[in-house]
Amino acid sequence: MVGPQYDLLANPLGAVRSTFDTAIVSGSDPTSLNGRDWGAVDLFRHFLSDQSQLSQVPLLTPSTIRFVKPNTLVRYRGMIQDMLGNEFYVGVYKDGSVWRTNKFTDISQYPIPMDSSAETRIWERRLLYCVPVPGLNPWAEPSPEAVGNLSMDWASEQREKRRRGDDESSDMTVDGDEVEGSPNTKRMREGECPSLASQPQGAVPEIAGSSTSLMHGLSGNSASCIVKIYDAPESELKLNDIFEFVGILTSDPELQEDNTDTDLSNGFGEDPLHHFPPNKLQVPRLHCLIHRKLSVLDFLQNKPVIEPKPDLVKGIREALLRHLSAVLGNDDIAAHFMLLHLLSKVQARVDALAVGKFSVNFTCFSKETASIFGKQLNLAIKNLVPFTHCIPLTVEYLNTASLAPKKNYDTNRLETGVLQLAEDSHLIVDETQLDVGTLNSVGVENARLLKNLMELQKVEYDFKYYKMEMATDVQLLVLSEGKSNILPADVIVPIRPSATNSSEDVAAENLEAWRWYLASVRQLPHCFESETQKMVESDLVAAIQADRSLNTQDLSRLVTMGRLMCLSFGETTMSLEHWQMAKELERLRRERLK
Amino acid sequence: MNTKGVDFNSDKVLAREFLSNFADNNGEAKYLNILQDVANHKTRSVQIDLEDLIEYKDLDEEFLRRVTENTRRYIGIFADAIDELMPEPTEAFIDDDHDILMTQRSDEGTEGADGSDPRQKMPPEIRRFFEVYIRASSKGRPFTIREVKASNIGQLVRIAGIVTRCSDVKPLMQVAVYTCEDCGFEIYQEVTARVFMPLFECPSRRCVTNKSKGNVILQLRASKFLRFQEAKIQELSEHVPKGHIPRTMTVHLRGELTRKVAPGDVVELSGIFLPIPYVGFRAMRAGLVADTYLEAMSVTHFKKKYEEYELIGDEEEQIKRLAEDGDIYDKLARSLAPEIFGHEDIKKALLLLLVGAPHRTLKDGMKIRGDLHICLMGDPGVAKSQLLKHIINVAPRGVYTTGKGSSGVGLTAAVQKDPVTNEMVLEGGALVLSDMGICAIDEFDKMDESDRTSIHEVMEQQTVSIAKAGITTSLNARTAVLAAANPAWGRYDLRRTPAENINLPPALLSRFDLLWLILDRADMDNDLEMARHVVYVHQNKESPALGFTPLEPSLLRAYISTARRLSPTVPRELEEYIATAYSSIRQEEAKSTTPHSYTTVRTLLSILRISAALARLRFSETVAQSDVDEALRLMQMSKFSLYSDDRQRSGLDAISDIYSILRDEAARSSRMDVNYRDALNWISRKGYSEAQLKECLEEYAALNVWQIHPQTFDIKFIDA
Repeated sequence: MVGPQYDLLANPLGAVRSTFDTAIVSGSDPTSLNGRDWGAVDLFRHFLSDQSQLSQVPLLTPSTIRFVKPNTLVRYRGMIQDMLGNEFYVGVYKDGSVWRTNKFTDISQYPIPMDSSAETRIWERRLLYCVPVPGLNPWAEPSPEAVGNLSMDWASEQREKRRRGDDESSDMTVDGDEVEGSPNTKRMREGECPSLASQPQGAVPEIAGSSTSLMHGLSGNSASCIVKIYDAPESELKLNDIFEFVGILTSDPELQEDNTDTDLSNGFGEDPLHHFPPNKLQVPRLHCLIHRKLSVLDFLQNKPVIEPKPDLVKGIREALLRHLSAVLGNDDIAAHFMLLHLLSKVQARVDALAVGKFSVNFTCFSKETASIFGKQLNLAIKNLVPFTHCIPLTVEYLNTASLAPKKNYDTNRLETGVLQLAEDSHLIVDETQLDVGTLNSVGVENARLLKNLMELQKVEYDFKYYKMEMATDVQLLVLSEGKSNILPADVIVPIRPSATNSSEDVAAENLEAWRWYLASVRQLPHCFESETQKMVESDLVAAIQADRSLNTQDLSRLVTMGRLMCLSFGETTMSLEHWQMAKELERLRRERLK
Repeated sequence: MNTKGVDFNSDKVLAREFLSNFADNNGEAKYLNILQDVANHKTRSVQIDLEDLIEYKDLDEEFLRRVTENTRRYIGIFADAIDELMPEPTEAFIDDDHDILMTQRSDEGTEGADGSDPRQKMPPEIRRFFEVYIRASSKGRPFTIREVKASNIGQLVRIAGIVTRCSDVKPLMQVAVYTCEDCGFEIYQEVTARVFMPLFECPSRRCVTNKSKGNVILQLRASKFLRFQEAKIQELSEHVPKGHIPRTMTVHLRGELTRKVAPGDVVELSGIFLPIPYVGFRAMRAGLVADTYLEAMSVTHFKKKYEEYELIGDEEEQIKRLAEDGDIYDKLARSLAPEIFGHEDIKKALLLLLVGAPHRTLKDGMKIRGDLHICLMGDPGVAKSQLLKHIINVAPRGVYTTGKGSSGVGLTAAVQKDPVTNEMVLEGGALVLSDMGICAIDEFDKMDESDRTSIHEVMEQQTVSIAKAGITTSLNARTAVLAAANPAWGRYDLRRTPAENINLPPALLSRFDLLWLILDRADMDNDLEMARHVVYVHQNKESPALGFTPLEPSLLRAYISTARRLSPTVPRELEEYIATAYSSIRQEEAKSTTPHSYTTVRTLLSILRISAALARLRFSETVAQSDVDEALRLMQMSKFSLYSDDRQRSGLDAISDIYSILRDEAARSSRMDVNYRDALNWISRKGYSEAQLKECLEEYAALNVWQIHPQTFDIKFIDA
């Protein structure tokens, strides 16, 4: 293969066009192409399969967006927050006698002949609305060197251009507000108490604190992005998945300026993008060439490329357990449960059951101890897993927060809620601050949502005319004084701290090892051997005989514990020794409950 | 271009031939009749069914394809053809403004001879007082919004969805009419898009040659407007793939189709999928993106009642195959809540509840209900609620509620003051809302006292009477009640009598056709089964194979709705049999010192109802003896679920008891051969299991009392 004719990084569209021309010359019929790839994607895939080339592609973040030139190749990491449906565009058209394509671009290079006799073919592409992963912890954000190199002369040029764009956008803001009302102002109007608007920010610092706020994800220097998907099958990209997209960035202010035209035509907008808040000029569009699903491992900065070997894993496990135990006031049993909890993952959904979930409820916190341990625990978890959230449960919060995502038919957008989380997120629900009070209908609904999430790992999205259940995989940790009845967790662990250590400093390399351990061990497959299977079965039967109140969920939880225990040692099959350990742990816990 | 024109002209001839020659099943010229109605101003819409076109004897396949793929053009062609065919009105009708205007115009038209100018020629649209719609064939599955692709643009498609938004109905200009101040001519301008450029100068030849630049004035009275409404539809939740968001689509409704939908309606639309080209500046910049919409051609609301259920696709054939398969009763019952293990008899009872029996109205106006009522009682955590919810999912019309009710309306109905108008309004509760359906009431024991009194009426008379705030009325509540209740002390207390455990008054209990007790009994086999299940699930990440493939809920629904169309009768021969069965139950009860049940005439009616439901399942118009046997067995089983410990009362051991039952039954019918099925029926009615029967058969065969057929297990008594 001859080297690429065009600079794929700086002029990807040129490369797209040249492959198109080659394809036409070699006899492809543009009228029957129907949007299929003609070799352009392969070219880029081949080019980017080289890791060093991929790292050359600049990463789109709020800080780099100012320096990136339009119509160049960029990378974007984000969670699919909404799907805006299909967009139809003139895929190919005949300009005189030459076929031209508009794939991977918003504006055609040459004007399309407008008379009706022109031969055009309409193709379609899918629009995804992506936001940065909610609750992303600072350590998991890409380091400056990973962002990709940007030459500074682009930057200055771009800055000037941007300034002009900003002026225009501020004009737009004013009249946009009058016309359609941005979500912010709307929310202010709906909830008469200002607390409603401020609540999500104040109460959920993890979400609102970073610039990745979902509520305001569309405003300001947002890092949200519209990704246009061309060739991928629909089943590949799902809501709430985290992806890395590589594609051509377009952001053409002029294109969107004249959208007031459509206002006169009807009562509600037809263009799905039409209802974005006024400063949508800031929302870049990415014409996706290649996409890749990301796992937690991809968010680790320095990936130690090692196999999870048992002896190595064991060492890390011990260290992590010591750390967790210190965080929990030298409570070993609680630390063990915490470790199992952090390793849990929904393995499968069988009937209504989510197999493998392991939510933990730490009880016996008082208001005072909760503030100490809660903070420590929160910090420790934030340092260990990439996506974390914390919900301080109060009556007011329940009554006002919007937990479930909701479809807004006025704007034709899915308004996100606190519970729209990416897979493998961690969620702490702090119930210690809950006081006596009355729940209104929103509060009851929210409590039900939390309970559903806890029991079934499902969140109902409100589409007004019907609700749709979306499967999630969120690790849930509940902190409460007594057993939480609102949030029935899988295990209840009364905590018995014996000391209150002031938070110790942890070496960075230790943290990295632990993060790697948690992320990689979780992904390991697991199976039973027939021998241990028999053992486990008979143990379960014995457990039922001893306590008639056990039901299927309890048994399932026991097996999950055994499995997680083995996983924590990096084993992929259930071993007798660790099954006994899990049983012993369960016995100790039951003793505490008495 | 020229060739295309010829093409369309010949197609117009085809269209005209079709309209005038098509005959429906009764041999009547369907479309000519419609046109006559149009001429008589009785109707405005001419709906052309594509299905008729398919059935048309002189069908030109190419023509059909052209119509489906370029529908908008062909609407015009059909309209032109209709213009040519339009008959004279046969009935007198009052002239309205429009007609007067038209007569004037046609008078003038003859003298305005210099009107070769197209702008002055009257466009056919303004003369038409009909609208043409081409309706897609209702055969096959409709598209989901997701499946409508770019390749469908311009084509006729059928889409199912839920309406989410509706705009107001607005007038849309179809033909703009101007008069010129100078020459006085009427100028017509056809409007095809939503935006148009009005005329400012008179284009008539007289004005152009005189260079007078005549000022034109838009005449709103003379222009033709169409009603226009815009709506948005969204994919139905069951069509959305996992992990995706429902898609939406804009729909344009015109003329007669406006005001047909409201937000929340589930509809099936046929229409033309069209792009809206951008206009003006936007077109130049963004020329490569097109918005799309659906130009609606017909609107059908989804029916949610069994009686109106329409079979789609190959369902009819599948049902036929199922019915021929035999064993349909077991198969359907197992497919109810397949994820819930066991409880075969309960599922059978629930299936019968779904099927129901026909309602009967006697000559004197008395009504006998056909709906079956079932009460499930049991320990917490035995999947009662799941069963209830599953049944509601299968039923086309079902309401799930709890005894406490979810609103102030409660279960029955309430009179409420409308907050806006201050009028008293009647608001139906769950039972009224589930009229002609199923009402599942969870936590039946925790019901409000007021609802409990009115539920007596609902369950037997099937109405809800209200006499409050000056409103006295009775609402229909022809619903089958499926109740779930906990025992009196939360858990079933084995030390107490069943009556004490069941915390419901006898008057209410007797209204249930079947009462089932589900207990969580300690049992080694069950425990091991449960442990195995849990481990299996963890190991294989799926539930263990069921050993059968459950039927789809949609097929289940289709089968049940087909079954519900029948109303089986009890043949004369069976009357005696049922009477004996009933009296023997009564006698048994009289003999026993502690009667557990209240066998009343209601019980007899229950037997008849259950038998009729069973006959419906077999698609039979008459009740057979096997139906009655099964009904009796079910009733007996439901009783045994309550009094299982009483089996030993006879003093006989199970095996000899089974023998005596078989002997007695055989003697009664004076037969020597007993069918295995019958035998199983008899003994299970007394509460014995199949395993016990097998044991008995073997034991007594060894004693040479009877012979057992090695394959079918039929019994042949050896005469002693």
